[in-house]
Amino acid sequence: MSDHVDGPRSIGDPAADITDLFAFVSPANPARTVLAMDVFPSAGEDAMFSNIIDYAIAVRRVSVAGVGNAAKFQPEDDEIRFSCRFETLKRDTAGKAIQCGVCQLPDGRELLLTVNEEKGTSTSEGDVRVFAGLRSDPFYLAWDIGILKKLPNLLQHTNVLSIVVEFDTRRVLDLAKGSLFGAVAETVPPQKRGLLGPAISRIDWVGRPEQTNMRLNNPAMSEINDLRDLWNQQTPFAVSKVLQPLFLQRLKDSHATWDMLDGKPDWTPEAIAATANVFLDDFLLFDVAKPIDDRSHLEIEKSTLSGHPYQTGGGRTVDANSIDILLTWLVNKDREFLLGGSTGATKPGMKVFPYFATPNTELQTVAESVELAAAPDDVWSLIGQFGGAWHPLTARIEMTGAGIGQLRTILTIDGRRIVERLEAIDDAKRFFRYTNIAGMAVSHYTGTLEVRPKGSGCVVDWRAQFLAANNTDRAMKVMLSTLFKTGLDSLKPRFGVAR
Amino acid sequence: MTAFAEPDRAAPSATDGEIAAINLESARRGAWARFAQDPLLPGVAEAIVDTERLVLQNLGDPAAIDRLDALASQFAREDESLRAPLVQAEVASTAHRFADARGHLARAAQMGAPRAAIERQALAIDQACGVKPDAVLAARRVFVRASGRLEDLVPLGALLADLERFTEADAVYRQAFSAYDDVSPFPLAWTCFQLGMLWGELVPMPDPDVAAFWYRRAVAYLPSYVKARVHLAEIYASQGRTADAEALLLPALSSGDPEVRWRLADVLIAQGRSDEAEKQLDAARSGFDQLLERHLLAFADHAAEFYAGSGNDCRRALELARTNVANRPTRRAIKQAHAIAELAGEAVSESDPREAPSVAISA
Repeated sequence: MSDHVDGPRSIGDPAADITDLFAFVSPANPARTVLAMDVFPSAGEDAMFSNIIDYAIAVRRVSVAGVGNAAKFQPEDDEIRFSCRFETLKRDTAGKAIQCGVCQLPDGRELLLTVNEEKGTSTSEGDVRVFAGLRSDPFYLAWDIGILKKLPNLLQHTNVLSIVVEFDTRRVLDLAKGSLFGAVAETVPPQKRGLLGPAISRIDWVGRPEQTNMRLNNPAMSEINDLRDLWNQQTPFAVSKVLQPLFLQRLKDSHATWDMLDGKPDWTPEAIAATANVFLDDFLLFDVAKPIDDRSHLEIEKSTLSGHPYQTGGGRTVDANSIDILLTWLVNKDREFLLGGSTGATKPGMKVFPYFATPNTELQTVAESVELAAAPDDVWSLIGQFGGAWHPLTARIEMTGAGIGQLRTILTIDGRRIVERLEAIDDAKRFFRYTNIAGMAVSHYTGTLEVRPKGSGCVVDWRAQFLAANNTDRAMKVMLSTLFKTGLDSLKPRFGVAR
Repeated sequence: MTAFAEPDRAAPSATDGEIAAINLESARRGAWARFAQDPLLPGVAEAIVDTERLVLQNLGDPAAIDRLDALASQFAREDESLRAPLVQAEVASTAHRFADARGHLARAAQMGAPRAAIERQALAIDQACGVKPDAVLAARRVFVRASGRLEDLVPLGALLADLERFTEADAVYRQAFSAYDDVSPFPLAWTCFQLGMLWGELVPMPDPDVAAFWYRRAVAYLPSYVKARVHLAEIYASQGRTADAEALLLPALSSGDPEVRWRLADVLIAQGRSDEAEKQLDAARSGFDQLLERHLLAFADHAAEFYAGSGNDCRRALELARTNVANRPTRRAIKQAHAIAELAGEAVSESDPREAPSVAISA
């Protein structure tokens, strides 16, 4: 998925694992360009940047050096580089962890940062503004791409750590020399020679999305060697000439496999070879003199390969459906758009700085259990009825419907009405799963009740995951935990406690 | 927790241990949240296993095993693919339920799991149980030749240490340490801890100063490394540095590992603070009892050591040591059982010689 978890090395420290790179013109101010990199797949709310990694976004001016099957984008040697470093943690007076950092700008100026400061930090001239902190993951993947089966967004409710750099386009990019650029992001560890050899050049880098996880490590190609760490050790804009044939062959083989995923060949071998050549130069192309919108991603590459002048600024916006744009192109060469099972990420991007949506609240979990001195089936016969009124806080239960999807309305002894829906039940395995429809200050509530054998008795597990609404996480957890414990404790006198 | 020493300049750099621990917890919770949304999401159950094992190993949180058991149970219910038995095998193996783990692996093999995945896990189980040492050693060397990575070198070092080839083990651990080129502090702290164990407990003539050096480095990489703190505190206490030992243990109390309270009690006794020590001992005893009730095999060896020492119940210690040997008849487990059997024989014979248990241990 995009560049998330793209190789054993980047998995070692998630804060060094780049998930995505973006390049677009600010929707709030067309005179400003935004570059952003995300790291740490599925970051929790306390996630922090590594204090020894150099988080960098590098941009080079690019020229079109060939079209059609000879398509080629040639980067210049000069690099415009934004480089962020972070410190170890400090504590505020309340003991909360604070992380500060510094962003070195292309002209050598330094901008001090505080992680998660919503407004970011600007230079005194206001030409550059930088944000670093937790945001909702803007990437979405809603496919089982190996078999082209639509799924809900696999990254729903996840967060990432974002670094967003917004700058005055003319001041930083010098458009007199051209407006087409290539961008990469990289995570660079300390360049200290180890005892057994030189330090690795980088943990991870990314240009276009899915270079590693889809094009170099195609899930449909079984038994292939994992080239992702080797790729991640390449120098951006200068992939080893010795290794280029290896990567090129993999890109061609992979593309041919994607082409046949729907059973229909849409690509000629020559076109596949030309596209692989373009992908081998892995940088995110964007032209700041042309419009960049949610649909312009990869248009520069596609038009150039087709022998036409490109019309848009390419790039990649926060809300670009990059996976479906890429998948459609690889599988059917834009014959028919392949729309996955989701039309957007958990939250859409924002039109103003820092452009990436606020982080998602973490799902909370409550789990309680009791060990009983009774056969699992005996206990299940009582509590395994979705409409069973065995809980001491229940006054009455009203049922609507039957089977999966049936609703139970619980009338509690203190007068509340809670409506829950049966989602799954398995009497053989003695469990059911349900969701809350109404009556509790929660959303995304899923509960499970299960009876498992243990020794000569059994264990009853009752769990729930939820997002608190109109209440604190802690308050909801205490309330649910008390509810579960009260119910489970009521089983002890009836069935006996396991010793 | 505060680091007592910074890694020296020759040591590999790593992300600050406090940040890494926060990010581990962050990744762990993130993986659980994704699992809650859809237990079948690719790679998520496996990611939970990885993060919970790190939490157990490095942060000393024994509740990680409870969470892993819940994961295995829930995942097996939802997933009908070969992923479920592979996850169940990992979880059973983590809880030292090796017979169960082998059963899950056999089922995974029947369902067509890749040979490499089965063999890796089976090898780890064989090593943990001390069986087929020559075959395990050959396989470990093959892995090391293929990757040269720390993740393969440290298990080879541990095996060599089990086989009492201490000089080779030391060299392999140091090679692992030097070969490391990532930035996570967990593998480095783990390697330092293994070197501390090697020199502090496994070699015939332990060298507490060398062991302390490596434990200190482990704590410097990862201040919340509970086991390293406990072992370093033991060394300090044996050298009369009880204040340093106490300072190491106090921040680790919140981990939930009863061994912290046990060692703290020993330190308090050495300081003449017997009332406080008694409270800590009671808490340690209660902690071990609760863990043994839920995960007998996972904690049998540590609990045996506790009851043979400050826990003051040699019969229980011997029973646990025998349970451990029956589960994993390694040289170390057998040695421990023999030592406890001798101790138990002495302890019981002092009160009533007719109750002296047999020293013989059947593996």
